[in-house]
Amino acid sequence: MKVSSEIEKIKKQFHNSSDFASRTISRGGREIGFVFLKSITDGEMFVEGIVGPILSYSGEINFQTLEHEVLKANDVKKIQTNEMVDNIIKGAVLILLDGQKGAMAIDLQAFNMRSPSEPPTSSVILGPREGFTEDIKTNISLMRRRLATKDLVITQLNIGKYSNTKVAITYISGIADLKIVEKITKRLKEVDIDGVMDSHYLVGFLQERNNSIFRQVGLAEKPDIVASKLLEGKVGIIVDNSPIVITIPFLLFEDLQDSNDYYTNHHYAGFIRVIRLLGIIIAIIASGMYLALQLYHYNILPLNFLITIADTTQGLPFTPFIEILFIFLLFQILYEVSLRLPSYLGLATSVVGALILGDTGVKAGLISPPGVIIVAMSKIALYVAPSQNSQIVLMQLIFIILGGSLGMLGIMAGIVYFTNYLNDFDSYGVPYLAPYSPRIRNDLQDGLFKKDISTMHYRPQSFNNKNKVRVK
Amino acid sequence: MKEHISPSQAGKLCAMTIFANKIFLLPSLMYEGAKSDGFFIALLLYALDFLTLIVFLLLKRKYPTQKLTEILEKRLGKVVTKIIYIVFMVFFLFKILLTYSVFYVYMKQQIYQDEFTFLTLVCVLPVINHGVLLGLRSFARTVEMYYFVVLAGFAACLLVGLGTMETFPHFFSSNPSAFFSTAFRYVFSFGDYLFLFFIMDKVEIDGKKDEWRIIKPAIIAVVFVLALFFIFYACYQVTAFMHNNAIVDIIAIFEYSALGRIDVIAMVLVMFLCLFALEVFHYSFCEAFCGVFKGLNRTYSVVVFDVIFLALYITKIGRYSTMISYVQSWLPYFCILTEVLFPFVMLLLSMRKKKGRKYEKVF
Repeated sequence: MKVSSEIEKIKKQFHNSSDFASRTISRGGREIGFVFLKSITDGEMFVEGIVGPILSYSGEINFQTLEHEVLKANDVKKIQTNEMVDNIIKGAVLILLDGQKGAMAIDLQAFNMRSPSEPPTSSVILGPREGFTEDIKTNISLMRRRLATKDLVITQLNIGKYSNTKVAITYISGIADLKIVEKITKRLKEVDIDGVMDSHYLVGFLQERNNSIFRQVGLAEKPDIVASKLLEGKVGIIVDNSPIVITIPFLLFEDLQDSNDYYTNHHYAGFIRVIRLLGIIIAIIASGMYLALQLYHYNILPLNFLITIADTTQGLPFTPFIEILFIFLLFQILYEVSLRLPSYLGLATSVVGALILGDTGVKAGLISPPGVIIVAMSKIALYVAPSQNSQIVLMQLIFIILGGSLGMLGIMAGIVYFTNYLNDFDSYGVPYLAPYSPRIRNDLQDGLFKKDISTMHYRPQSFNNKNKVRVK
Repeated sequence: MKEHISPSQAGKLCAMTIFANKIFLLPSLMYEGAKSDGFFIALLLYALDFLTLIVFLLLKRKYPTQKLTEILEKRLGKVVTKIIYIVFMVFFLFKILLTYSVFYVYMKQQIYQDEFTFLTLVCVLPVINHGVLLGLRSFARTVEMYYFVVLAGFAACLLVGLGTMETFPHFFSSNPSAFFSTAFRYVFSFGDYLFLFFIMDKVEIDGKKDEWRIIKPAIIAVVFVLALFFIFYACYQVTAFMHNNAIVDIIAIFEYSALGRIDVIAMVLVMFLCLFALEVFHYSFCEAFCGVFKGLNRTYSVVVFDVIFLALYITKIGRYSTMISYVQSWLPYFCILTEVLFPFVMLLLSMRKKKGRKYEKVF
């Protein structure tokens, strides 16, 4: 095998990409070739750990001496010809030797990565601030640091025909239910997709019901959250290029929990959870309930409030239903705009949205102040559980329609309908609304009213754990 | 296993059926017939009803995993089984009609007033159909989830009612014939545990502790309803017959300045209770239907129920005034079959094997 012709062959396979790099040197009358992608390899390490040692080595160069005597690198392996392209893509430098089949692959992968920082949606007052990054290696190392045990199992897969994305399934052997691990692994192995850009791409393949508006997998941005979930017996799925780690099984109640709850007094944590629940309830039904009260049940409103509403809604061109729908859509448009605008313009949008549109709309007699307040309140309340954002917005719309068209009975019927629907859910055999429906007494310890960690003796029983005892 | 429920969930389903009907017009109807002794009628009928629950538990001990159809067909033959199931189809259908018609009147008076007549139906029918189609487990879990909310709401109403009590009800003021004729006339509003026989294979009971888990919520519900009767009679001793909505009426006159009007609690409570009770009765109707027409699945039974229900409702047979006249005329006689004869037969079946053969160990 001639090195230069082999390099040409590989180059052709990469369609002469501009970041494809090759170099040949002559040592002891023997040609040595190096092949790599300069965009994803560490150039400094290439010189110091590979080229430098080879040039200074005086003995015979072959694959064996390279591996054992010459190269200053951690991850060195001998590969076959058919494995060369895959290794180059993954950031390896290949060493080809004249007259020898195969190559030596040295992993020198290096990307420009941001360092772990506090994620914007999971910030804590007193607690760890590290968040996941887009690099799977960094993310795994963050997990390893928190769970320094041989029982932390990490199984890696590659998913995506073109993206060839690394996906790591992680769990604690001896705690997690292996049936769930097998089920997840099987589902991921069956994924046949062109590319995986983020962990959200895999969510659809992992959920039991894809047509539902309710998310059935957990999403976490912080290693301490994922580590604590693994300790409960859940399984984590780390996806390369994504700072979001998927956790399975998922209970709806998890989105009411926050990492802050575990780093503060448990009584206060319980109080805050109640506030969050109230926030979610307000976010979902406040607008619909206001409509229902205004349209059908004004007789149960306190007289003073009724007079205020009557005063402010008098002369409005829209019906209350259209008015609330209009304000709802206006808020949603402002939200979408503020997400996409540069931060310096975001402030201007808030001013335009809140002052110009709101205030002028009221003064112009298009919308009423109570309507603006109610919708604004429900929109703000939504952020008590930011990860539930998308589904709560859809629920808001549904309950506005129910409240406006059917009144309070419509809202109650909607609540019963959706609770029945959610009670029919099973996330990998775990009831979606546990520990409240069905009621699992042990799991209430980390429910709405949280107990102190020292009294949480058992792991959650809503799913099958091998090792039940947590605190002895 | 999707249809299986825990004993605690079964107990909470019982609680919902116990609450339904009794919190509306029943207290005032009973007052009309037996004055304040209506309280003792409720007590008597609940005691009799409780015997049905005991019979159910005995039967469940004897046949822990078997369906009611299997037991009946084996012991009484296919024809008798079909007749029993048809009788209960009618029973549950009228239970639904009564509950719905009373609920409809409440909704009309309190909320919708001059709105479209079918607005209540549009809210109720899709929800109970959906619940039944999803299966017993999903709506039993829903009931379990809201059980404490319902109890808290009920307790709040009763506490407020206590505050409005002016005198102690004057008991033993009616003559025995008025007492017993009133008890017989409104017997259809009881029979709360009968649905359990139709889901007996789906209730997982393992030991006496589990039996207690069924009994406990039922007893709590009975205590709450009796307390409602008591407070209602203490509040409205003279004008009781004018009050249709007992639970709402006992707090309607109460306005707490810190909170404003609080009858919204009763309103929400009534909505939850009626939806849950209707789901239970609808599911039982469908189980009875599937027992009669064995080749047909639950979707068919839901469609058939909807057609019959709408037909009866549109032809005004299922309306409030007609239903109340049925409750007071022929339905009590019909209840002799369902609430007396049927539990008695079940009791015999639960005891029969004990005498004939060696005792079958259940637990």
